[in-house]
Amino acid sequence: MITLGTALAFGGAAFSAALAGVGSAKGLAIAGQAGSGVVAEDPDKFGNVLVLQALPGTQGIYGLLIAFIILLKIGAVGGAGVKELTTFQGLALFFAAFPMGIGGLLSAIAQGKVAAAGIYLTAKRPEEFGKGITMTAMVETYAVLALLISFLMVYGINI
Amino acid sequence: MLVPMKRLTLYALKDDREALLLALQKDGNVMLIQTDDKTSLPGAEEVTSQLDKAKEAIHFLDSHGAKKSLLAPKLAVPYQQFLLESKGGQQAMDEAENLASQIATLRNEGATLLSQAESLNPWLKLDIPLEELKGTETTDCFVGYLPEEDLEGYLKATEKSLVDINRLGIGPEGIALVVIAHKSQSQEIKHILKEHNFTEALLPKGTGLATQVVRELKTEAEKKEKAALELESKAKEIAGQKDQIALYADQLAAKGDRLANGGTETIKTFCLHGWVRHDRTQQVETAVKSVTDAYELTFREPKEGEIPPSVMENNKLVAPYESVVELYSRPKVGTVDPDLMMAPFHFIFFGMMLSDAGYGLVLTIALFIAMKLFKPQGFAGKLTMVIFFGSISTVIWGAMFGGWFGLEWHPLLFVPMNEPIKMLVLCFGLGAIHLVCGMLIKVYTLIKAGDIMGAVCDQISWLIMFAGFFCMGMAEGPIGKYLALFGAAIILLFGGREKKGIISRLIGGLLSLYNISSYLSDLLSYSRIFALGLATGVIGMVINTIAQMLLGMGPVGVVVAVLLLIGGHTFNIIINVLGAFVHSSRLQYIEFFGKFFEAGGRAFVPLALRTKYTEVTK
Repeated sequence: MITLGTALAFGGAAFSAALAGVGSAKGLAIAGQAGSGVVAEDPDKFGNVLVLQALPGTQGIYGLLIAFIILLKIGAVGGAGVKELTTFQGLALFFAAFPMGIGGLLSAIAQGKVAAAGIYLTAKRPEEFGKGITMTAMVETYAVLALLISFLMVYGINI
Repeated sequence: MLVPMKRLTLYALKDDREALLLALQKDGNVMLIQTDDKTSLPGAEEVTSQLDKAKEAIHFLDSHGAKKSLLAPKLAVPYQQFLLESKGGQQAMDEAENLASQIATLRNEGATLLSQAESLNPWLKLDIPLEELKGTETTDCFVGYLPEEDLEGYLKATEKSLVDINRLGIGPEGIALVVIAHKSQSQEIKHILKEHNFTEALLPKGTGLATQVVRELKTEAEKKEKAALELESKAKEIAGQKDQIALYADQLAAKGDRLANGGTETIKTFCLHGWVRHDRTQQVETAVKSVTDAYELTFREPKEGEIPPSVMENNKLVAPYESVVELYSRPKVGTVDPDLMMAPFHFIFFGMMLSDAGYGLVLTIALFIAMKLFKPQGFAGKLTMVIFFGSISTVIWGAMFGGWFGLEWHPLLFVPMNEPIKMLVLCFGLGAIHLVCGMLIKVYTLIKAGDIMGAVCDQISWLIMFAGFFCMGMAEGPIGKYLALFGAAIILLFGGREKKGIISRLIGGLLSLYNISSYLSDLLSYSRIFALGLATGVIGMVINTIAQMLLGMGPVGVVVAVLLLIGGHTFNIIINVLGAFVHSSRLQYIEFFGKFFEAGGRAFVPLALRTKYTEVTK
């Protein structure tokens, strides 16, 4: 039987994967639109543009990661059968997904904007490509921190 | 390490200039300096425009079947042959250019014809030949478009006039109309038409019914297209001559480089200035001597205000990491080249972030083969080498953490996912060493510059404080506490030493003590090493788990599982190599370089044979 706690844990996993995924999709879209414009002018820049466009994609991966760890923790993957969690255990797992879900959503969109700016930078001054990447990676810091704290929270809950 | 540069001055006869520039270009050790506004030699502009044409011709032939795969080696040309400007290349270029412009013209004309045909679309129902669309003895004729919404108003206004209206199809500008009015009222009708936004139609010239004209226009356009296609197949025939054009383009580029800077001149002589590495002066002198003995060549140390280019030189293991520095900025002349200190940390961080020995092995082998096949040169070569080293480090750290293609297998150290606190301590520990190294470099440069006060108060004081914190955590007794307080006291008392007055000085000290928050955030930044390692490992696990589920679903499941394992792990490697490279570089740029690095060096771009399409051999 699935308890309320287990359902809440599922909610946490869904929250993390869905929000961070939406964020990455938006971020990639923002950067991708800028990228297509630049590639239309100069197809040779496709390689550089693609690298910059890929950067906001990581939040979705991090979101999936937290979702997977939660599912692993409650036994939903691996074939051992879903565990029956108390309501508070489930609630704790639900909250643990917050940093990654919200942090991933917003940081990916923000990173997409910086990536788009970096793509324009590469269009005008191809030699400054590395700086565009560095500035885009600065935004990622907070997705990384969100991932870390979500992981530590999930790890810290005893079931 | 930054190589010391010498300033070169060369006086020689103008008669020898061409030969001298050629010799210097072959030698490739001198970066010429533009001294006056106009120093390019006559003919430079012509060469540039010729080069543009050659590039366009190559582009044209590339899009007509001349493009080779990336694997194809560059055309090898002996140096003596390279010196003779390729006549065949020039001819082929002209031919390609000619074809390209003919094709473009034909396509343009075809497009015009088609758009004319399209403009006749609303008139297809017209049963009067186009050439007869004009007035008669007693009538005037108006041919044009009226916006749909204005039609009703017009009909109402002309209800009682002597006018006939012939409605045809609808075009983008409105309804196509032929209006025939009696001459006595034609002025009035014209006025009413104008009031209702009537626009006159400019029909294409042609005789016969509209359908017939359209047919003629379309056949004409088809003919043009056919001719264009014929020319294109001709272009495919001469695609084989691309190599010659490529050689010609490289020759032009080399010539353009030589002509770009002729130095200052008198009637008979000229003078060149440039930069040479201090250990290559002898080589340059030999090159000059091989041309003439009527020369005056001197090398001297750079004077104040003269900024030589920054040339980094390191041993074979460290040199690839110059590319990481170049992505940020070259070090300013006279400062420290960070490569040697940076390389081991980049190596370690990259491996820890990817942290899967299986991935590391795949990457090591793949890059090894790629480097054998493509032989990347210059910046790309260095960058590939950095990732190659990183993949070796990945094998080491993967084995330490027991990560093999997302599976856990005999960790030599511990598994980060099961012991996250241990892993975080390891990350912060390495980060602290990294930061302290950066600060020590700053201490070194400050002491070298004679700023002992700055070294002690702004750098060493912090180091004492950190040492104190370290002791507080590690050792028993109050030593740590006193050390930390001692360091803090130095900062408090001397951090604001530029300010006047005791109080503002103390406030300044207090403010610089507040910098501890920036050191703290620097240190926390290293937690990304763990997070990125986690990402690689868990995504690998996800792929394996799904594959395992598929394996239980019969033969189709097995096939899909194998495809998923290959595709998924490949994707995971690519995305995480990007992440590992970007973030281990970022830790250098922001956290490490922030402590000491002075950016703003210029690149060393000597006069040399820089060929794009060919490879010049002896």
